[in-house]
Formats: sequence, C-alpha cells, structure tokens
Amino acid sequence: MSRYTDLQLDALRELANIGSGTASTALSSMLGRSVDISVPNAFVMPMAEAVGTIGDPESETTGVVLGIVGEMPGSVLLLFTPKDAELMCGLLGVEAGTEIGVSALMEIGNIVGASYINALGQMIGMELEPTPPAAATDMLGAIVETVLAERAGAGDVALLLDSDLVVEGEDCSVSFLLVPDQGGVDQMLERLGV
Amino acid sequence: MAETMVRMGELATSAVAGDVLVSLGLGSCIGLALLDRRLAVAGLAHVVLPASTGTAAPGTWKFADHAVPELINRVVKLGARRPMLEAVLVGGASMFAVSKSSLEVGQRNEAAVRDLLRAERINVIATETGGSRGRTIRVYVGSHKVTVREAGGTEKALVPGAAGVAA
Repeated sequence: MSRYTDLQLDALRELANIGSGTASTALSSMLGRSVDISVPNAFVMPMAEAVGTIGDPESETTGVVLGIVGEMPGSVLLLFTPKDAELMCGLLGVEAGTEIGVSALMEIGNIVGASYINALGQMIGMELEPTPPAAATDMLGAIVETVLAERAGAGDVALLLDSDLVVEGEDCSVSFLLVPDQGGVDQMLERLGV
Repeated sequence: MAETMVRMGELATSAVAGDVLVSLGLGSCIGLALLDRRLAVAGLAHVVLPASTGTAAPGTWKFADHAVPELINRVVKLGARRPMLEAVLVGGASMFAVSKSSLEVGQRNEAAVRDLLRAERINVIATETGGSRGRTIRVYVGSHKVTVREAGGTEKALVPGAAGVAA
C-alpha cells in the first residue's frame, strides 16, 4: 500500500485540485452560480476497499463516465446522489429522472469532465482527449466497480483522486473521481518530477 | 446470522448454517456461488476480470481463471463433495450502454466463468446476468437459498432453498 510516497500523493492531490478548479469554473458558467471546490482526496487502496470508501455500495447514484484517451488512459467519473441530480436538473430547468434530465446530467459531465481532462493534460504536458460521456442510474457499487474493472483491474491497488464541486447556496454537489490506468499514475508522477 | 461481505476480487466460504455470503452492487463483475445442496457448505467469489495477465499478486482472486479453481478447492476443503457442486451466476452487466469496452468486460466475465465451470463439470443451476442493471447476490449457507436484488427492487429468490437440510 505504501506504493506512493506522501510527496507523490501530495503532487497528485495538487493535480486534482487544479483540475477540479478548472472544472468548477466550467460548471459555474453552465449553471450561472458560483461553485466551490473541496480539498481533493487521493486514495491508494486495495481494489476491494475502493467501493466502500466512496459510499454505500447499494445506494442509488447517477454516474456519468468519460474515458481519457491519449498518453495517459483512464476514466473520469462524476457521481450524483438522487437529491443532487434533482437539484442540478432544477438549476438547468429540466425534470430529473426523465430522458432530458439524464442528458442534462450527461452534458454537465461532458463539460466538467472534459475541462478537468484538458487542465490535467496541460499541467503534465500530455495529449489527453476525453471520449463522449455515458450515464447510468443504479447502485453506486455497480457503477464504480465497472469503471474500476475497466481501468484499475489489471493492478492490485486502485488510485482514486476524489474532489467535490459544491454549488453555492444550493446544498448541491457533484463528486468527482479520476481513475487512471495503473501505468498512468507512474507517468504522471514522472512528468511532475516526484 | 453473520453476513460476510465479498468485495471486488475477494472470495469467501462457509460451512456454518445461517451464515450469509454477500456481494453488494455487482456491475460488470460476476458473483459466482458454489453450493453442495445436500450439505451446509457454500462459497462466493466476486470475479472482476476474465483472465489473468500474468501480473496478479498471489492471494488475489479478481481473475476468473484464479478465482474459480480456488473457490472449488476451498468448498471441497470444507467438506463439499466435488461431484455434487452446483453453481449460480449473478452480474456481468454492461452498466454504461455507450461504453463498448465495459460491455465486453461483463460479457467476457460471464463467458470465462462458464467455460471454467464447464471444464470442471459443474452445472450452472440459476443465473441472473447481462442486461444493464447492478445486482446484489446473497447466498444463505445451510438453506441453500440464493437471492438477487436490483437497484430499487426487492430481494428475490434465484434458488428457492430448502427447509430441514442436514447441517
């Protein structure tokens, strides 16, 4: 588990911080509200523990996932609780749970995720491109493990960079995970020189 | 009644009637239950990927080709009779319809587990696989009931189980 040093985890957290800062600006201009970011967490843990760290595996969640293609493959996953999905849809003037509600959340995921990925690519000097978003509303565990299986499956530990975007005055937030492929983390650290 | 959580890449067995083995929120992963329905012995594996790439650390069971033989060995060690073993499969969904690769993972997981069971001559007596929904599997040791639950749904019996089994 001590695969990464504290210094390396700090560097990854800082990457996530700048990425989510850019993402919050994108969300803010989309919603016309001010958006705050939380201090990101960097989790490195055995895959078995990853889902439980994020939340109750059976809780209903809407997940929007974007793939990252290019020099550092990975996934960006945005998670909305039912309440957050409803508030977010309300801010955009659409009804949650409907087809248009789901596509509104996908569009949020697309804009926020793509700006995060672009910021990340610029910081580490890599060509990174987002793939189009896909969405699912289901058990949290099923959504998260499917992304982990695809990305971190070949390794023994999962690295998750977790940030929250909080819409000011609305008690509404999006949780945000970056799941790099196993080799991708080492590449990022190399670029950062730590 | 003790519930044992079987998380990604883990497996668990029990020979204690009343124990419950659980995998919560299976997506593209497969929950594989093995039962000897005449005895109170059962096992559950939470399979993540179809085949090992050669880099798996010892003692990790996320790959079907490691997990299936290990689960068989462990239930046999607990007294299950090899020829009496039966299997139940849950999961293998494609959660994100657009994402082609995750669709393949779910389907490939199911195909890999089925191939391995066939090679070991173990019958699959019930399944709830594929589709696009997440699922929770519960295996009740002793009564041999196996249940599945989807998001927002209720627990339904996949294998009804039996009363009065010798424990």
